[in-house]
Amino acid sequence: MSRLKDLQKNLFGGTTSNARQFGMIFTLVAIVVLFQILTDGLTLRSDNLIALFQQNSYILILAIGMLMVIVAGHIDLSVGSVAAFAGILVAKSMTEWDLPWPAAIVFGLAIGAAIGAWQGFWVAYIGVPAFIVTLAGMLLFRGGNQFIGNASTVPVPEGFREIGSGFLPEFGPNTGYNNATLLLGLAAALAVVWREIQARKTRRAMDADPAPMWISILRMAIMVGVIAFAALRFASGRVGTSFPISGIILLVLVIAYSFYTRNTAGGRHIYAVGGNSRAAELSGVKLKRVNFFVMMNMSVLAALAGMIFVARSAASGPQDGNGWELDAIAAVFIGGAAVAGGIGTISGSIVGGLVMAVLNNGLQLMGVGTDRVQIIKGLVLLLAVAIDVYNKSQGRFSIIGSLMRPFRRDDSAPPASPPDAEREPAKAAVSG
Amino acid sequence: MRKFFGTSVVAISAAAMLALAGCGSGRDGDSGSGGEAAKGFPANSLIGVALPAKTSENWVLAGDLFSNGLKEAGFQGDVQYAGASTTVADQQAQITAMVTKGAKVIVIGATDAAQLSTQVAAAHTAGVKVIAYDRLITNTPDLDYYVAFDNFKVGQLQGQALLDGMKAKKPNGPYNIELFSGSPDDNNAGVFFNGAMDVLKPEIDKGNVVVASGQKDVKQTAIQGWKAEGAQARMDQLLTSTYGNKELDGVLSPNDTLARAILTSVKGAGKPTPIVTGQDSEVESVKSIVKGEQYMTINKDTRNLVKETINMVKALQAGDKPQVNDTKSYNNGSKVVDTYLLPPVAVTKANAAEAYASDPKLAPLTK
Amino acid sequence: MSDVPILLEMRSITKEFPGVKALSDVNLVVRAGEIHAICGENGAGKSTLMKVLSGVYPHGTYDGKIVYQGSESKFSDIRASENAGIVIIHQELALIPGMSIAENIFLGNEPRKRGAIDWKAANRMALDLMARVGLEEDPDTLIKDIGVGKQQLVEIAKAFAKDVKLLILDEPTAALNEADSKHLLDLLRGFRSRGITSIMISHKLNEIEAIADQITILRDGRTVETLDVKADGVDEDRIVRGMVGRELSSRFPDHTPKIGDVFFEVRNWNVRHPISAERQVCKNESFVVRRGEIVGFAGLMGAGRTELAMSVFGRSYGVFESGTIIKDGKEIVLKSVADAIDNGLAYVSEDRKAIGLNLLDDIKTSTVAAKLSKISHHGVLNEVEEYQAAESYRKELRTKAPTVDESVSKLSGGNQQKVVLAKWMFTDPDLLILDEPTRGIDVGAKYEIYGIIQRLADQGKGVIVISSELPELIGLCDRIYTVFEGAITGEIARADATPETLMKQMTSTKKMATR
Repeated sequence: MSRLKDLQKNLFGGTTSNARQFGMIFTLVAIVVLFQILTDGLTLRSDNLIALFQQNSYILILAIGMLMVIVAGHIDLSVGSVAAFAGILVAKSMTEWDLPWPAAIVFGLAIGAAIGAWQGFWVAYIGVPAFIVTLAGMLLFRGGNQFIGNASTVPVPEGFREIGSGFLPEFGPNTGYNNATLLLGLAAALAVVWREIQARKTRRAMDADPAPMWISILRMAIMVGVIAFAALRFASGRVGTSFPISGIILLVLVIAYSFYTRNTAGGRHIYAVGGNSRAAELSGVKLKRVNFFVMMNMSVLAALAGMIFVARSAASGPQDGNGWELDAIAAVFIGGAAVAGGIGTISGSIVGGLVMAVLNNGLQLMGVGTDRVQIIKGLVLLLAVAIDVYNKSQGRFSIIGSLMRPFRRDDSAPPASPPDAEREPAKAAVSG
Repeated sequence: MRKFFGTSVVAISAAAMLALAGCGSGRDGDSGSGGEAAKGFPANSLIGVALPAKTSENWVLAGDLFSNGLKEAGFQGDVQYAGASTTVADQQAQITAMVTKGAKVIVIGATDAAQLSTQVAAAHTAGVKVIAYDRLITNTPDLDYYVAFDNFKVGQLQGQALLDGMKAKKPNGPYNIELFSGSPDDNNAGVFFNGAMDVLKPEIDKGNVVVASGQKDVKQTAIQGWKAEGAQARMDQLLTSTYGNKELDGVLSPNDTLARAILTSVKGAGKPTPIVTGQDSEVESVKSIVKGEQYMTINKDTRNLVKETINMVKALQAGDKPQVNDTKSYNNGSKVVDTYLLPPVAVTKANAAEAYASDPKLAPLTK
Repeated sequence: MSDVPILLEMRSITKEFPGVKALSDVNLVVRAGEIHAICGENGAGKSTLMKVLSGVYPHGTYDGKIVYQGSESKFSDIRASENAGIVIIHQELALIPGMSIAENIFLGNEPRKRGAIDWKAANRMALDLMARVGLEEDPDTLIKDIGVGKQQLVEIAKAFAKDVKLLILDEPTAALNEADSKHLLDLLRGFRSRGITSIMISHKLNEIEAIADQITILRDGRTVETLDVKADGVDEDRIVRGMVGRELSSRFPDHTPKIGDVFFEVRNWNVRHPISAERQVCKNESFVVRRGEIVGFAGLMGAGRTELAMSVFGRSYGVFESGTIIKDGKEIVLKSVADAIDNGLAYVSEDRKAIGLNLLDDIKTSTVAAKLSKISHHGVLNEVEEYQAAESYRKELRTKAPTVDESVSKLSGGNQQKVVLAKWMFTDPDLLILDEPTRGIDVGAKYEIYGIIQRLADQGKGVIVISSELPELIGLCDRIYTVFEGAITGEIARADATPETLMKQMTSTKKMATR
C-alpha cells in the first residue's frame, strides 16, 4: 500500500495538486486507449497524431495564456476575436503591403501586444472587470476583423503557411524515419533523465528523502517510453510529414511558460494575486503590473494562435477564432484550475486541452456528428469540474484518491516512513 | 548512484524497445499515389462528405441524400456537418479525419471556400480525390472536380423574374428595389449577385429601376453567414431609413431563407408585399409562393446535384474519368477546375405544380 | 426603579462554541421603558448575548431561560423575535445602498394591495416613520446618497415599521460623528419618554454615562454586576473598573528590554478615508520607536490604529494627505508596499486569513512570499534555498507542521500566525508592526508569540504591537500610545500603565501632554 501511495505522491512532480494531475493524465490515457480500440487503431496512427497536434496547437497555445489569466483571477473572452483581428492584419500585411513573412509574424505579435496593452490598461489601471473588458474586446476586434477584411477571405503566401502546416525538415541518411524528429525525441528523453537527476539532487539538498529509487526509475521509464513512442510515431509519418512546426512552437511555449510560472518571482506573483490579492499586495506584489502583464500576454499568445490558424488554413477568414475562447477556457478548467483563481498549472491545462482534443478527434473518426460531439464535450467539462468540486468539498483533493478508496480497506498498517521525533506531536497539532 | 544509472539504463531501454515494437513498421513511404495514376478502388470504399453547418434545410436534405445515395451505390458514406459556431476549424478537422480513415473520395461543401487548401492538399497527397460540391474551393491546385448549378444563370433568372414580377403588378416604372447578396465568404454569393446585376444593371442605368437606398455595392448588400436575422435587420433598417413614404416594389434576395426574413420584416413594418426573389425551393418558401407572398424561387433540385456527384464518385470507383461539361470557366485562383454544371429552373406560382411534380415533399404543397 | 415592571429577563444563559464557552451563567434584567447599557471588553460576550436574545442562535442551542413580557420565549429565528417586538440594529447596517429609503424600510415587509406593492401607502407610512425618528428626507432618496448618521435613522425607522417594543443597538455611534451621535442619543431619550425600551452596546463610556439608566457589565462571558446609574452614582472610572477588574496573571515570558535610540519616527501624519474623503482617519498623529523597544498602540475598535499602521506601511490604506517618516535620521518616502519592505518595514495584519496569507499556499511558499528576491538568482527561484529558509524558520519558531510542504490552510491559528511572522522575519525588517498578533490564538501559543516578539526586540529591531487586549499591551510593551478617533491621545510608560489609565485615554478626546 505504501508503494501505491508513494507512486501517487511521486510520479508526477511534488506539488499539492499532483494527485489531481495524476487523475487527469490517467483520464487522458484512458480516453486514448478507449478510442484506439473504438477506431481500430486509427487514433494512434502517425498521420492522425500529426493532424491532432496541427489541429489543436493553437487552442493549446491559447490555453497557456488563459491559464495565467485564470490563475490571476480573471477571464479573457476576447481571444478568438483578437486572433481573428491579428490574423486578418497579418494576411493583409503580406498580400497588400508586401511585408516579407518573417516581418509579418513580428508585426502580428506587435498587434497582439498592442491589443493586450489596451485590455490590460482597462483591467489593471482602471479596474474594469476583465469579463467586461474582454467581452467588449470580443465585439470590438471581431468587428475590426470584418471591417478590415470586409468579411472576406485573404490568402497568405507559402512561406508563412509553414508555421501552421509545416513540418520538421528531412535530412541525413535514410533511416526509414524522419531524422529531425528522432533527434528531437532523443533530446527530450535526455532532458527527462537530466531533470530527474536534478530533482533527486534538489530533494537531497532539502535534506528530504528523494522519492524511492524504483519510483524514479519507473517514472523515467514511463516518460522515456512515451517520448520514444511519440517520436517514432511522428517520425514515421508519410514522407514530407513529421513533427509539425506548430507543435514545436507549442512545445517551446509550454516549457518556457511552465518554467516562468513555477520557477520565477513573476510567476509566483500571478499565483499570489489570484490566491489572495490583498495579501499579495501587502507582501509587496505590484498588483497592477501583474494584472497588466497577464492580460497583455494573453493577447500576444492569441495573436500567435491566430497566425498559426491562418497559416494552416492558408487564408484568413471572417469565421476565424469563433468559439476559441470557450475551448481554451474549458481546457484550463478541465486541467484543474480554480474558478476563483490561484490554482492551476500549465501542464494541467495542456492535458485538459488534449483530453478535449482527443475526444473531438476520436468521435470524428468514429463518424459522430458535430452536434453530438458538442453534447459529449459539454458533459465531459461539467463532469471533470464537478468531480473536482465534489472531492474538495469532501476534504479530498484527488480523483485518483477516490478511485483507489475501495482498495484501502485493510490500510491499517502505518506507512513505512523513518521514525521522526517531531512527527507525532506535529500531527496532533495540525488536526487541532 | 551507479546502481541508479545501471537500473535506469535497463529500464529506459526496455521502455524504448517496447515503444518501438508497438510502432511496428517504419514510415508509410510515399503513398502519395495521387494524380492520374488512379485505377479505381473497391466498390465498398469509404466516401467522405463534409458539409457546412446545418443553417439551411437544403444542406440537411443534401446530407440525407448523400447518406442514402452512397449506401445504395454500395459505398460506405461518412457525412459530417460543421459545428454551428466553430465552422471552419470543424470542417478542417473532419476532412483530415476522413483522410485518416482512408476515404477514397471526399465531397466538400465548403464552409469557407478559401480556408481548406491545406486539407485538400493533404487529401491529394494521400491519393484521395476531392470534389467541391456546390461551392468552389479556391487557391488550391489539388482540387479535382467541381459540381454545381450554373450559378451565374441562377442570378440571371432571379434578376429577370424580379423585373417580370414587378411589371406584372404595375405596368410602368420606375420601380423601387433593394438588393441583397449572400455571405461574402461564399464564393457563390458574388456569382449570384453578378448574374442578377447582369440583367438589372441596364434597367438601373435607364432609370427604369431605382435602388432607392443607393446601396448597390456587393459589400453593402452582403449578409454575413447567410443568416436570416442579418437580412431581417438590414431590411428593417432600409424600411425605416428609405421607405417612410416611398413604395418598395421589389427585393432581390439571393435565397429563400433570406427572402422569408425580408418578407417578415416588410410584414412587420406593415408595408405591402413587394416582389421578392429566392432560391433553393425550401418548403416554407414554396408554401409562401403558393400563398402569393414570395414571388419566385429557383429550383436547383438538390436531388439532381447529389445524383450527379454520386455519379462522379461511381466513375472514379470504376477508374473512369467522370463526365464534365465545363473545363474553362471555373478558375479557383490556382487552376481551372473541371466542372459539371446543372441548369437551374425559375419557379413562380404559375409553374410551381409543374416544376415540383417529381418532388415527393414539394409536390403536395402546390396542389 | 424597582417598582417598574420587568420587560425582559435572561436567566443563567450559557452558550458554548466548540472549544470556547462564550457565555456562562449570564443574567440580564431589563425593565420597561429604560435605556439599558451593556459594557465589556472585546470578546466579553456582549454580541453573543444579543444574538441569543434576537434568535440568531435559536432556542435549544444555548442553556438558560428568556422571560419576555412575563412569559418564557423560545425564539427559533430572527423573524420570531421580531414578531415579538425585539429588533436588533447591528453595527454593520443591513441596508441596501441602491434602494430608496422607503424600499429599505419596508424590505421584506412591503404593504401590499392585491398582490402588488402599494407604493403610495408605503411612501406615506415611510414619511410617518421617518418623522418619528426625526429624519427629513424624501423617501425616494437612495440609501447610498445619505450619510451614515441618517442611514442609522433609517434602520431605526425600519425597526418601528415592525412595531418595536425592545430596541437593541449594537455600537450605534461607532461610525457617527459627534453631531450625528448627539442626535441619536437625543432620539433614544425621546423613545424612553414614550415608553420604548432600549438596550445599547457601546464602547463609548461617556455616552453610556450620559444616557443609560442601568448598566450591566460583562467580562469573560460572565455577568460582573448591574449598576443603577443614578442610585449608584456611576461614572466612567467605575465602569472601567468593572470591565477590566481582573488580575493580570504572569502570562508573559520574563524579559529585560535593551532599549536603544530612536530610529523610527512618524510626524504629523494625516490620512483620509479611501472612499468618503471628508472623513479623516489619521489626525495629525506623531510617534517614535526606539531600537529594541516594544511599543503598544491601545484603542477601541475603529479608533484608527490599523489605519495608521497600514497607511505608514507603504500607503496601503486610505488617501495620504501629509506627514513625514524619518528612519535612522533620514526622511523616507514610502509610496508602495514594496518601498516599505525595501526600507525595512514589515506589517503583520490583524486578519491573517483575509489579508495576511494566501491560504492556497504551502508553508514554504508563504514564508518567502514577501521577499522573493532573496531566494532568486537572475530571476530564477532557487527551490533549495526556499526550502532551507522555510525550514529554518519552522524550527526557530517551532511551527507545528509535519513539513514545510504543508498547506497553511491546514494549520491552527497560532501556527498560521507563526508562518506570517516567519514571512516578515524573512524580509529582515528593522521595524515590525504587529496588528492584533494574538487574536484568535489560544493561551499557549500566545505565550510563544510573546517570546518571539521579545526576541525580535532584543535583536535591535523596533516592534509596534496593536492590540485590543489591554493586559496584553501592559504585559508586553515598554511604552503604549493610546488612540481615540484617529488621534493619539496619550503616551504611557510601562510603569504607569494600568487598564484604568489606558481605558480612560482610549475613550476620551483629551489630548495628554506627550513626554
